[in-house]
Parts: sequence; C-alpha cells; structure tokens
Amino acid sequence: MPFMRTPAAEPWWSPFRTIGNAEVFHVDLTVNAAREASAYAWMDESEHAKAARYVFPITRRQYTLLRGALRRLLCERLSCDNADLTFETEEYGKPYAVVRGTPAEIQFNMSDSGRHGLIALATHGRIGIDVEERSDKRDLDGLSETVFGVDEQAAMASAVGQVKVERFYRLWTVKEALIKALGTGLRLDVSTFQVPAALLHGDPSAVFRFPHLPAFRWWVEDLGTADFAAAIAHEMAPEAEPAVSPGAPAVRGEQRQA
Amino acid sequence: MATIEERVRKLVDDNLEVDGQPIGPKLELDTHLGEAGVSSVDFVAFMKVVAQDFGVEMSEGDCVDLVTLRALIEYLEKAGA
Repeated sequence: MPFMRTPAAEPWWSPFRTIGNAEVFHVDLTVNAAREASAYAWMDESEHAKAARYVFPITRRQYTLLRGALRRLLCERLSCDNADLTFETEEYGKPYAVVRGTPAEIQFNMSDSGRHGLIALATHGRIGIDVEERSDKRDLDGLSETVFGVDEQAAMASAVGQVKVERFYRLWTVKEALIKALGTGLRLDVSTFQVPAALLHGDPSAVFRFPHLPAFRWWVEDLGTADFAAAIAHEMAPEAEPAVSPGAPAVRGEQRQA
Repeated sequence: MATIEERVRKLVDDNLEVDGQPIGPKLELDTHLGEAGVSSVDFVAFMKVVAQDFGVEMSEGDCVDLVTLRALIEYLEKAGA
C-alpha cells in the first residue's frame, strides 16, 4: 500500500501572498506531532524513504510537513487523488507534478528554513521561491565575495550590522529564487548575474533578465518579513518582439505586464 | 600528516551545524549534505572554506555535484590537493 489512511489534522499552511497568477503559501514547520503524522500519511513510499534518510529530526520534520502540504495543495488545485499524484524531475533536479502519468498543468516550487516553509503555485510560467531565516553567524562578507556581483558587493560594503544581515539575505533569496525558477540551481554561478538595480535600492519588485537568456523576463519580488527573508521569481509572458539584444545588462526597471 | 578525509572532516566540524548541532558526527561518507540539513547558502560557504583550506579553485559548477564527503574527497584527490 503506497499510502496510509490519512489522519485528520487542521492545515498547517495558509495563504501568504498572491502575485499575478502565482499563489504563495506559508507552511508552519514548528514541532507538531499530529500535523507531522498527517503529512507523513500523505507521502508515498519514495518520500517515506527520503524522509528516513534525513539525519536530524528537524530536517526530517521540515521535509515531511512541507511535502504533505504540497501534496494536499496540489490535489486540491488539480482535483486529483493523492494516489494519482507523483513527481518527476527535470534535467537538473527541479521537480514537477505528474497526475496519472501526465505532467500536470501547474508549476510549483518550495523552500524551507527553520520554522518557515513557502510553497509557490502558478498556472503558467516557471516559478522559484526561496526562504531563509536570517543569521548573523555566517561569514556574510566572505560569502558576498563569492555569490554577489560588483554592484551587489558594493551594496553590502556600504551596510553594517543588522542592515547588512538583512541586505545579504534579501539579495541571496532573490538570486536563489531565480536559479530555482530557471531550474539550474547552483549549476549557474550566481555571481554572474546581479539582482535588478531597483531591488538593490529597496524597491520590493522588479523585472529581471538573465544576461545569457535575455528573451525571458522574470518577475522578482521580495517577500521578506520580520521573521524571515524570502523572494519569488516568476516567468512572465513572452513579449511580442524581443526588447533587448544579447549582452544587454540584466538590470531593468520595467513595470510588470498583466 | 592529516589525510584529505581528516582535513575535510575537521572543516565540517568547524563550519557546519544544523539547529545548533554539529553535523560531523552523523555524517557518513555517502550522506547527502542536503539530507544532513545543509542549506544552499551553507553549502556555498562551506565550499569556499574548503577551496581556501586546500588551495584549489572551485567554481560553483564544480561544487554542485560534490554533495557527499566521498565526492568531495575524490574531487580534492584528483585536484592534487
């Protein structure tokens, strides 16, 4: 039997933001045995095996609660039975949903950090999301040299204390959301592109193009709260005609098109 | 003289923790670092430390598949570290 009988548990996720056709849900990853049991029961055998491989209870719990919430949200949106829902992965590991053997007409992405998970769903357009609980224990200056471009490093160098911490995670989550949306993960060197200047200067959202893929536009938005840094990247509808030539700077200040 | 594995494990002990707990003691050679709770930002930071300690150039593209200690040690051996 791939699935156990599903025990009842109140949802541990809730609507967080709606951005265009993308819905973002916050998933509560704090300790709760009833929720974890419910989530576990929604998972299939391969997911149970993956959960068992997690070394620490906290990461096993994060995976389980996030996966259970994802399954329940997808089943709801796709009007399918949990037993009919499986997952496949793209070339570089980005997962996508499959219902009865057919790729589902929905895009999703998820992220977790500490007590917080985020799940993004969209009816069309590739999507990526990242959440990070901020920590000042990391070597942010050293990391900045590795993962940021020139303008981003300058922005980091001009900040101190908590402002620097917040700026680092703001920039990092935007970059990670972008590489997750693209589906490359860290195979794409994140220092080779910079977040849009508007975001760098404090705007909450902007349009972005990867320097090596200028035909594709991405809506990027800071979703951070006092509790965590977070960002979403969502592929926008294609333009009628190319607006930029290869090699054009990635930074743009365009407004989002409907 | 410490072996590559001993040096890598020392770097793990000094740099990687999950929820305040060191992950080193629970890390087998073939444990996936993600399944040990290492986040992407910590992964990038750790690879930077490894590159500095061993004096090797490691691009993000090089690092992305080094998700177990065994893979990392084999990479460093091939790099002549």
